Amino acid sequence: MNIGVFALLLAVGLAPAAASAMDHSVMPRPANGALAVGATLDGNGRVWLAKVERQQLWVSWSNDGGQRFSRPVAVALEPEDIAANAENRPKIAVAQDGTVLLSWNQSLPKRFTGNIRFARSTDGGRNFSAPITLNDDGRIGSHSFDSLAIDGAGRVAVAWLDGRDRDAVREKGGTFAGTSVYFAQSADNGARFTANRKLTEHTCECCRTSLTWTAEGPVALWRNLYGTNTRDFALANLDTGKMDRATDDEWQIDACPHHGGGLAVDGRGTLHLVWFTQGKTRQGLFYKRIAGGRESSPMALGNPTAHASHAAVAAAGSMVLIAWREFDGRAYIAQAMHSTDGGATWNAPQRLAESSGAADYPLPLTDGKQALVVWNSATEGVRVLPLESGKPK
Amino acid sequence: MIRRLLFGILTVLVLTAPAGAGEPAAFTTDSLEKIKAQYAGRPFILSLWSVNECSYCIAELTFLGKFAKTQKRLPLVLVATDSPEFVPAMQKTLSEFGLDKMDSWVFDDAFPERLRHVIDPSWYGELPRTYLYDAQHQRETVVGKVSAQRLREWLKKHKRAN
Repeated sequence: MNIGVFALLLAVGLAPAAASAMDHSVMPRPANGALAVGATLDGNGRVWLAKVERQQLWVSWSNDGGQRFSRPVAVALEPEDIAANAENRPKIAVAQDGTVLLSWNQSLPKRFTGNIRFARSTDGGRNFSAPITLNDDGRIGSHSFDSLAIDGAGRVAVAWLDGRDRDAVREKGGTFAGTSVYFAQSADNGARFTANRKLTEHTCECCRTSLTWTAEGPVALWRNLYGTNTRDFALANLDTGKMDRATDDEWQIDACPHHGGGLAVDGRGTLHLVWFTQGKTRQGLFYKRIAGGRESSPMALGNPTAHASHAAVAAAGSMVLIAWREFDGRAYIAQAMHSTDGGATWNAPQRLAESSGAADYPLPLTDGKQALVVWNSATEGVRVLPLESGKPK
Repeated sequence: MIRRLLFGILTVLVLTAPAGAGEPAAFTTDSLEKIKAQYAGRPFILSLWSVNECSYCIAELTFLGKFAKTQKRLPLVLVATDSPEFVPAMQKTLSEFGLDKMDSWVFDDAFPERLRHVIDPSWYGELPRTYLYDAQHQRETVVGKVSAQRLREWLKKHKRAN
């Protein structure tokens, strides 16, 4: 018998891994896991950036529309795991008195557990308060997808997805569909927070929440569970608890879409919504506005064959700005479109930039005058892209 | 003669060897074709999951882990849409459900859209997601969690060809 063949046979018998799936070994590469950034415009037109690197949240600002940024300052003394990929990003807001407010999601070692964290600076971003944990259930549990909104004059709201109700029911052997939305509020720019309050139960588990501050108080948008498994969006005012179904897409899916919605309010109090669905009624990325109980019909955004996805919206005065990401088969594209009449008419979408590698979803910013899109990518770094102004069509 | 016979046995062994008894392989744009070639003339289950932010995936893996114990040689191919840096977390999760010996892959592309497009252009990344390939590699798509009944019926219909 040929000894070589015998050895080969033996080797195959001992190492069944030798088939084609193992032809490629997985190579280690630099972590692209923390590309999702937070950004805002303050009352002086300054661009603020919150970025995760080396288990730290770093804050910097730019006085020239994002061409040059200040030296980043680490928010916390102790490093921690911060969720900053896909729809998880740190949040930053700046109040009228200059207080810089931050919220983020700390990931804990146990699967799907984390904390909603908060810190602030009262000296223009030079020093930050020691981070606090906002979820007050005292459990290692699921707390994720935080959103932050302020009224600018001292009121602060942070909302998030919270698994405490589900866990409590399951511990008693029951079943619980979805998760819950909880929130905490502050009346002094984040010096102190109220106890957590429940907004609602039975929401989708894995899509971002969105929060904006209207004249009637903070309003949240999240992907809700209707019936057994219809994952359409809901809106609610955190102060009144009044909840409305926001979309009627009829997306029935026993799964995690990983694809939420965005919400902003303009100077007239009109709400602007962007969202994704694969529902029976419609499929793709959409925009609509809601004012005084009336709403516009959903407007499709982006090129569906280029995977237009993960839209976000910003609004101030009569300016509304929407940004989303596309993939053209070769590169990621940051796309944006804007309206200067409160969303009644829209300029043609603008292709702002490309990324030749992994990239965050583009983040729109407006103060009513400037219209900027912040976009982080592994190769090109953080870019602040101004929109070309033009007359509405 | 003996040598030819041995080569025949060897070929059979190579073709039927479970592919994934080890680290997940890198899933790139040509990986689906390789998987199909590996399962030429045979049905297989392409199961997509993620170790990140997907509680339904964990529910699905829990079910698949139990199901695999009741089915001899379940032709299951697991593809995680995470990136290679998540391999240790993936392995930990898969071994928890007894699925670490399955044929396992992980997305390895700066543009996951490119890989999603190869698998299904209409897929935006919702998870879990399953494709049931018959022996001719005509496939059925299961969006969201697959039910035990559906999988059992499908296997009954198609596994005989295995």
